[in-house]
Parts: sequence; C-alpha cells; structure tokens
Amino acid sequence: MADPRLEATDLMVSFPLPGGRALRAVDGVTFRVGAGQILGLVGESGCGKTTAARCMAGLLTPQSGAVRLDGVELGARRSTAQRRAIQMIFQDPYSSLNPRLTVRRMLRELLAVHQLVPRAAMEERCQELMSLVGLPAAALGGLPGQFSGGQRQRIAIARALATEPRVLIADEPVSSLDVSVQATILRLFADLRDRLGLTMIIISHNLAVVRQLSDQVAVMYLGRVVEEGAAGELFGSVRHPYARALLAAAPRLRQRGVARPDLLGEPPSPVDLPSGCRFHPRCPQAADICLTEDPLPRPTRSGSTHIVACHFGADPG
Amino acid sequence: MTAGPAAGVPLTDDDQAPIGSRASFGARAVRTPAFVAGVSVTGVIVLLALLAPVIGRYSPVQQNLLATLQGPSAAHWLGTDEFGRDIWSRLLYGGRTDLQVGVLAVLFPFCFGSLLGTLCGYLGGSLDAIVMRVVDVVLAFPFYVLIIALVFFVGEGTHGIFIAFALTDWVVYTRTTRGAALVATSQDWVAAAEGGGLSRRRVLLRHVLPNTISQAIVYAMSDIVLVILAVVTLGYLGLGIQPPAPDWGAMISDGQAFITVHPWLSIIPGIAIIVTGVGLSLIGDGLADLQRPQ
Amino acid sequence: MSPLLEVSDLTVEVQRQRRVFRAVDGVSLCLPDGGSLGIVGESGSGKSMTLRAVMGLLPRAARVRGGTVRVAGELVTARGERSSADRRRHRLAMIFQDPLAALDPVMTVGAQVAEAPRRVGGLSARAARERALGLLRLVGIPDPARRYASYPHELSGGLRQRVMIAVALSADPAVLLCDEPTTALDVTIQAQILALLQDLRDAQGLGLVFVTHDLAVVGQICDQIAVMYAGRIVETGPAAAVLGAPRHPYTAALLASAIDVDSARQVPQAIPGAVPDPFRPPPGCPFQPRCPIAQPDCAAGPVPLRDIAPGRSAACLHHDMLADGPAPAGPGHG
Repeated sequence: MADPRLEATDLMVSFPLPGGRALRAVDGVTFRVGAGQILGLVGESGCGKTTAARCMAGLLTPQSGAVRLDGVELGARRSTAQRRAIQMIFQDPYSSLNPRLTVRRMLRELLAVHQLVPRAAMEERCQELMSLVGLPAAALGGLPGQFSGGQRQRIAIARALATEPRVLIADEPVSSLDVSVQATILRLFADLRDRLGLTMIIISHNLAVVRQLSDQVAVMYLGRVVEEGAAGELFGSVRHPYARALLAAAPRLRQRGVARPDLLGEPPSPVDLPSGCRFHPRCPQAADICLTEDPLPRPTRSGSTHIVACHFGADPG
Repeated sequence: MTAGPAAGVPLTDDDQAPIGSRASFGARAVRTPAFVAGVSVTGVIVLLALLAPVIGRYSPVQQNLLATLQGPSAAHWLGTDEFGRDIWSRLLYGGRTDLQVGVLAVLFPFCFGSLLGTLCGYLGGSLDAIVMRVVDVVLAFPFYVLIIALVFFVGEGTHGIFIAFALTDWVVYTRTTRGAALVATSQDWVAAAEGGGLSRRRVLLRHVLPNTISQAIVYAMSDIVLVILAVVTLGYLGLGIQPPAPDWGAMISDGQAFITVHPWLSIIPGIAIIVTGVGLSLIGDGLADLQRPQ
Repeated sequence: MSPLLEVSDLTVEVQRQRRVFRAVDGVSLCLPDGGSLGIVGESGSGKSMTLRAVMGLLPRAARVRGGTVRVAGELVTARGERSSADRRRHRLAMIFQDPLAALDPVMTVGAQVAEAPRRVGGLSARAARERALGLLRLVGIPDPARRYASYPHELSGGLRQRVMIAVALSADPAVLLCDEPTTALDVTIQAQILALLQDLRDAQGLGLVFVTHDLAVVGQICDQIAVMYAGRIVETGPAAAVLGAPRHPYTAALLASAIDVDSARQVPQAIPGAVPDPFRPPPGCPFQPRCPIAQPDCAAGPVPLRDIAPGRSAACLHHDMLADGPAPAGPGHG
C-alpha cells in the first residue's frame, strides 16, 4: 500500500525482571495500517498486543524498533501535535475516566489545550462530540459515576475524538460490556470509520469482534505476529496452527457440543521461551525443524499480503 | 475533519440507558450523621472563640487578687483562678489562641506534604526514593521528643511551635498522598490525560492532585486535634504559649497545684480540649464517609 | 424418577441502602439426572444470585423469601446460609468465575483438593493425598505430583480453574453449579475447560448448572437453557430450540445482538433502553418498555411463565408473533 497511516517496524519492548533476566513482551512486531482502514490485533493474554498498542499510542517507549505516522518516525518524546494524532481507548470503562471531572470539563480541557476551537464555540463542539457517540447533550454535566459501562465507553470515545486524531487505538473496547451493549459500540466504531475516515486498531481476544470490524487482521502469540492479512482472506484460509486453533475455539451459536481445538497444554511462561518456533510445544503438526528453527514471516503465495510465520504455512511450490 | 450529524441527533437510537443521578455534596453532607455532629460541635466552639471579645466579660489577663479561687457565681460564670482572673474569659480566649495555632500550624505541613507526596507518587524515580528516605528518618524519631527538642532549640511561643510542626508534621501527608497518587497514576485515566496531550504539570495539578487531596483533608482534621494537644502539652511543660496569654494547656498546668481543693481549674479546660477534639474527629470521620464512592 | 435438582418459585430479596428489591423473583428450574442446564442472562438478571441461593452462599444482604430447593427429591433448607456439611450431604458443589479469589492463597493446591476427603471422608493423610492426585490427574493437570505442592498464585488461569474443579469434585457431588467459570479465561483455555466439563459429565453422569452471559458457550455445553431477565425466567427449552427459534422477545433480541465469528459484516442490533431499575420494576412484563412487539396488555398485569409446547415455556403473551422467525426488530443479520 502507499505510505501507510500508521506503521510499526520491528517493535521490541522488554521489561527487566529481578535476577537480570528480561521479559520480552513484544519481540519484533511489524505491521501497517492504511488510511481509513481498521486493523484487528488478536491474541490471548500475554501475547503482547496491549503492550504493542501502548507503544503505538506513545504510552510506552520500545527498546528498539520504530513507530511511524504517515511516514514520519515518532521518537520517544512526542510533540503535542503527534500525541493528538493517535488516541487510545482503554479496556476498563470504570477506570479510564477521571472520577472527579464532569464530561464537559474533560472535553473542554482538551479542546482548550490544543486550541482546536475558540472559547465561544466550545459548548457547541462538546455537544457535537456527544451526538457523534450517541449520547444526549445532558450527559455533559454528569460525572463518570453516573453512567453505565456502555455509556462510559462512549464518553471515552468522545474524549478520544475531541483531539481530532488520525488514528484511534481501542484496547478490548467491548470486553467489559454486556453482550447487548457491545453491538452499539461496535456499530459506533464502524460508523466512525465510514463517516470520519478514521484509521483504527482494534485489539481483542474475541475473533468475532475482530471479524466484524477489521479490514486487516494480525494474530499475535508470545510477542510475535504469527499470521496477518486481509480479513476476508485470513478468515477464509487460516494457515498458522495457532490461528486455526483460535478460530476453532471461538464459541459459535449454531454449534452444539464443545469445540475441541487442536491445541495442547498451556501457553508457556514468556520468560522461558521455547526454542525454535515458539508455538511448537503446543502445535499438533510440529516437526523436527520446528524445534530448531524459528520460522520467519513469509507470504502464503508470492505477491500475497497474507503473511504467516510457520514452516508449513505457505502454499507448496 | 468536521463532525457528523447536527447536534442533538443521536447517531444510534440504542442504549438510551438513563443517566444516574448524583446528589450534591451539600445534600449528601446533611445525611451523614458524623459530619453533621462534627460540624455542629466544632461550629459552636469556633463561634464561641470568635465571639470571645463580646461574650467574655473580662479581659483574660485582668487580675483581681481580692477574688481569687472563687466558685461559679453571677459575676464569674465559671469562677476565678488563683490570680482572680475570670475562668470563662480565659477559656474563650484560650480557645481562640489554641484553635488559631492549631489550624495555622497544620497549614504548611498540609500544603507542602500533600503536594510533595502527590509529586512522588506520580513521578516516582529518584525523587520518590530520596523523599521517602527523609520521611523514614523523620518518622523514626518519637514525635513529641522531636517537637519538644525543636521548640527548645528554636524558642518557645507560637513562633517556635509553627517551626517545629512545619519541620515534622508534613511526613504523614506525604505518605498518605503518595499512596493515593500511586493508585491514581496506575489507572487508565491518567494515561489517557497524558496521551491526550496534556502536560505532566497539568495532569499532576489538575487531575491527580484533586484525587489525592481528599485523604489529606480527612487526616488534617485529626491533625489539628493533635497539634492542639501538642500545644497543650508544650504549654503544660512551660514551652508553649507564654503567660500571661491564656492557653488551655497552661490553664491545666496552673491548676495542677490546686487539684485537690479546686479541681475545676484544670477540669474545665480539659473538657474543652476533649470536646474540641471530638468535634474535629467527627468532621474527619464524616468527610471520610462522604468521600467514599457511592 | 425425580429430577436431580428442582427449584420451585425461588424468591431472593436483597437489601441495598435501606431499600429492598427482588433479585430473584419466582424462579423455577429443573435439572434431570445427568442433564445440563444453562442459565443465561446479562448483568442484573439474577442468574448468579439464583445459583448462590441454591448453594446457600448468599451474601449477607440477601435473604431467601420464598420457594424451595430439592436435590434428588430431598428438600434443602433454602434459608440463607447453610453449613458446608449440609451442602456436601446434598451433594452440591460450585465453581466460580475467579479461581484466585475462590482458592485459599496460603494453602497448597494439593492440600485444598485433599481437604474434603480427609476431613469429611475420614481418609488417612496418605489416602487423601492419593485421591487428590487422582483428581488433579482427572482434571488434566500435567505433572500432578509436582503441582500438588504449588500455591494458587503460581499457576496460570487455566490451571487454577482446573484446580477449582478438582476441589469441587473432591466432595463427590451429584450436581456441579458453575458461575461464569470461563468468562475470565482466554478462548482456547475456555474451550479446554468446557471440554473437561463435558468429559466429566460423560464419565460420571455429573449434573451441571452453568450460568453465563455467553449464548454461544451455553449452547455448546448445555442441553437445556433458561433465559433470565430482571430476576425472572423468561424462556426455557432445549438449547437448540431456544437458540434457533426463540419464543421470547428478549431472547430474540439477545441473539440479534450477538456477533458470530463465522460471518463477516453483520449488523448486530443492540437492545434499546436499559435494564429496569430493580427498585422500580415496570408494571406487567419487565421487558415491555424495551420490547419491539409490546402490546397494551403487556403492561396490564403480571405475565407468568407458561408452557407453549412440550418442554418449552415462555413468559410472553405474544410469543406466537415470534414463531415465524427472528423478531421484527429491524434488519436482521446474516
């Protein structure tokens, strides 16, 4: 694609542990999101997706690797304009809003600090933001404690939109919400993408959510991207055994009887990584080469954007 | 990028959950028994202290050696002390002095300690490490020993008291607000504020501090009581407010010599101290109840 | 033959801020021998409270105000708390959503599994340990001899959940009550735990009552489903029937709001409005303020749960409007 809106190249984030070891939460992650597209980042706990997202949002500094916005590399200390451009929505709506600030004060502060709107027009802009997320103007006077989980999440989205960002990163935006409320938030994201042309990264452990919204999907395991590609193609023809197991394990309404994905045991500790391919101890089709050689990401066919990191992932020949 | 639909038109017609209501601070305050009781009791005491020039019938230092050690009478509502001074007037003016000193002596530790603690909790790093070690050192000394030594060193009287408390009392505020700041900083809304482009200074002062100060305020109430007690103790030891200015501690100390024949000389100021202490503690309890999330 | 677990007209009141509301309102359930019943609902539906009332683990602010619970025909005292001896006698065991909160953090995992056999079953220390090792193996914990001496915090979420199941099984229950046991787990671990529960059912004929908000999960492991809303049961029936052809507008709305991993570009329908304030329940049917097919008679009087077909019941006066397919709540998804 032409200059992607947001790009991560070889991101590496590690956390020091007592005893001199280090935990590599993100270990060489690369992906691109085109303007106006939604990237779905999928994986289970410990895969590093939240850490990678916080890096992109500028809340964490990677040990190595680069994050680029419209081709421009974002350094460790970002300018205000750069911070404005990428906004994050957090998982827990109950701790992502300052309990002492009314919605109005919170929004106005952002509008004022970035000088986006003259004072006289602030109230109107606040009301616009409320209507963008489907909340009544009366909500502006409320404190977070007065709202439900779904409403708080929408307030958090309004806050993110206040700075007129180019990229929205949503970390498990619907996991803490009731099923019937999830639908609203997901439709809201789709609408924001269509209407405002926002670029988004949606992080979720729920494949259904990711499939709903994403144009591109990247599956992560133990700090690496193991498979990525266009949503339709990836879901249509899953290559990596882990991604396949994830898809098989996803509960389906029409299914009777328990899903038994082809997956052995528990995820290993990220401090004690297996040799060769990280997934080999749990992989149903692990071969000798998997124990010794770490597979590099490769396209499934030449020229394809569907990339998989598995010795057996590509089409033969 | 311009916004979408006109204001007031909902994007989706779903999830019109009603927004919960919130009672104002005042409305909740009057429903909190501890707070109401504390404010009432303390309010009465403060009022009496303020009105001392009006309702005190004599000057607190005016001696009348012809009317010493008298019991309650029409002329002297609570009697007189060994110098013929009116106890009622001394009580009122003593309260004025002690309350003033109590509040003022707490002011600097409260402001400085809370700000420092919040800064430490928010920024962490070497600042946090150094400050916490200093706090540990100060806390290692027994409080009263430190206060007495400082007052002795700096000089008696209110000025010595202020300095002594300024140097020692800030540590508890620092500890308390640091803990609250650590909790707040770990929450996503602080990350969101920083990510939104707000400067760290702004986030600290406008976002984190309001969330940490509430605990400090609750502690400040009981701290005023502690200060008054310390002033009283210093007064008892002769290191506090200097005579002939009235002070409850000095009154207790002076009355000690007469404890067997005229016990009320010491008991009356003692009761005043207790009531004031209880009133302030109730306010502190009430505030703690109010701060708790509903 | 009497059902394994039978709940009749259970009502639980909860006190909050000096006011009382009904968290569970006239709930009746039936679990046949070896069967599995799923209770589905969102937050505030009363599903967890129902389970806790059956188990006798109600929080202090809650009280059973009516109804009975029978296990294998035997009446169980449904008054608030019961001793663990009672529960064991009635052969009930429960597993919870957060194993870290449900397991004792200062006891080794093995000791916790061995506790019931030793203290209640009267087994010797060695026999109890053997039994515990057997149970750890049964629930699929690798290297049980080594894990025996681990503490709960040393284990991963999936292993902890297995330990909790082992502890529950150590009491030799006839019915396992499950309160959202997989909600906090990763999806692959969830699949493993569900598989384990299914295997235990097949091997031991263990009865299962499974509470969850996830319709797809309940469809996988349960034969029967009961849907709860605002403290009441609004629909029951076989899983396939309830999920495939719902006969209550709330069930239909829940299904319409769910997203499925197998289809792209769905348009899930959120349910307008919100769960009613428990202190101010709406007149008549609790769902009627949000119901797309509500009629005037829905608010007129109480709407009881009625049999509409063999093995199926629904608390809706107009359930036949749903008989022809998905609720007319807007564009369907596909």
